[in-house]
Amino acid sequence: MTSDNIMIQVRDLKKYYNGDRIKALDGISIDVNRGDVMVVIGPSGSGKSTFLRSLNLLEIPTSGQIIVDGVDITGEKIDLDKFRQKMGMVFQHFNLFPHKTILENLTIAPIIVKKENEETAVKRAMELLDRVGLADRAKAYPVQLSGGQKQRVAIVRALCMDPEIMLFDEPTSALDPEMVGEVLDVMKELARDGMTMVTVTHEMGFAREVGNRVVFMDGGSIVEQGTPEKIFESPESPRLQDFLRKVL
Amino acid sequence: MQISLDNFSRVMKYAPLFGRGLVVTVLLSLVTVLLGFILAFILAMMSLSSVKILRAVSTVYVQIVRCTPMMVQVLIMYYLLTGIISFPRVFLFGYIEVGRFIPAAISLALNSGGYMSDVIRGGIEGIDQGQTEAARSLGMTKGQTMRYIIIPQAIKNILPSFANEFVTIIKESSVCSVIGVAEITKQAQNVQSATFISLEPLFVATFLYFCLCFPTSRIIAYFERRMRASDQR
Repeated sequence: MTSDNIMIQVRDLKKYYNGDRIKALDGISIDVNRGDVMVVIGPSGSGKSTFLRSLNLLEIPTSGQIIVDGVDITGEKIDLDKFRQKMGMVFQHFNLFPHKTILENLTIAPIIVKKENEETAVKRAMELLDRVGLADRAKAYPVQLSGGQKQRVAIVRALCMDPEIMLFDEPTSALDPEMVGEVLDVMKELARDGMTMVTVTHEMGFAREVGNRVVFMDGGSIVEQGTPEKIFESPESPRLQDFLRKVL
Repeated sequence: MQISLDNFSRVMKYAPLFGRGLVVTVLLSLVTVLLGFILAFILAMMSLSSVKILRAVSTVYVQIVRCTPMMVQVLIMYYLLTGIISFPRVFLFGYIEVGRFIPAAISLALNSGGYMSDVIRGGIEGIDQGQTEAARSLGMTKGQTMRYIIIPQAIKNILPSFANEFVTIIKESSVCSVIGVAEITKQAQNVQSATFISLEPLFVATFLYFCLCFPTSRIIAYFERRMRASDQR
């Protein structure tokens, strides 16, 4: 694989709390390639969310490098806001803006960050909203939507910024079981369209079906990684075997 | 000492003085609450800043305001300002002396701003951290996040306390009588001097303060209830 294909290089990423007593990330090194659908699994407290949040520096790492398109974003004097525009993020608790309508949620960042004119922003927002089947809720407020609808809107909100990569932080964990499917469907469609994605999830079905790489984390380190077949059919490390026995 | 209807009717001859006092008190409180809010906002932004010196200045200021008596603050500001600036002897509406009104409004605002800054900071900190994260992940700067996402939501939390502060200021503005601002309390003292009746003018003043504060706080409570209801849409 050529280096042009590498989108994010993570090198020896460490995140310590309380001095160095709590090691949330203990030396992570991994590459995310263009078009990857990487799924990160692991027990809670394994550092998988911290890893994901570090990728766009919502979590400031203690040490290590994150190189995006050849630029180390952990360095000083980096226009972080510019880099964040390339990375869409979807949160466990949606984090829609409650004081804005759905449409405003989608258009605010394109308008004030990218200085798009309102017409363009609204047009694209409506197209994307239509694709997730929520065009009729454009004028509603987030509080009037179900959890599954909120999360679909949150995905569209990130997409409106035209990101090169999408980060999903346990996007279905706060949803009622019957709403998980509708959100996963949107994510599957995104993956099919070739979007580069890094997803932290407990949905093993999604990992197996959609992911092209699965990463198993435990204790702040990557314990094992590989194709879904390898991870789920022939896990090597005892910790992964143990984890899979519990969740499958 | 006795309280008599006769005394009241003698005091009521001075009703126009009380009326003027009422106007001054209301005007003083309104100016104070507006200036105080601006100051409080600046102080709150300073205390939330990542610059250490700004945070320190804000903390020190708030503690000085809180740990010294308001009357002393008013007196200091009056002598300080009238010492530096020679205010022209201008009277607003013919009876509000600008040279006393302005120092009073400024010192009340400096005091109120110190108290309100904590309320504003609390309102901002009360907004879920996820809101900031979502905004920043979309590429918004810190400033844009504050302006478009955090502050509009925080205002809703802040508004009731802000209105309550208005009620507090109406009452506390009575301290400005010490620098001769002709608000309600000062006018009551004037009537005392003119009539040699000590108690009844103060009753009139009390009644006026109550008539200002009680309805205002009821109106605030009403809107607070309605706003809370609209949250549960």
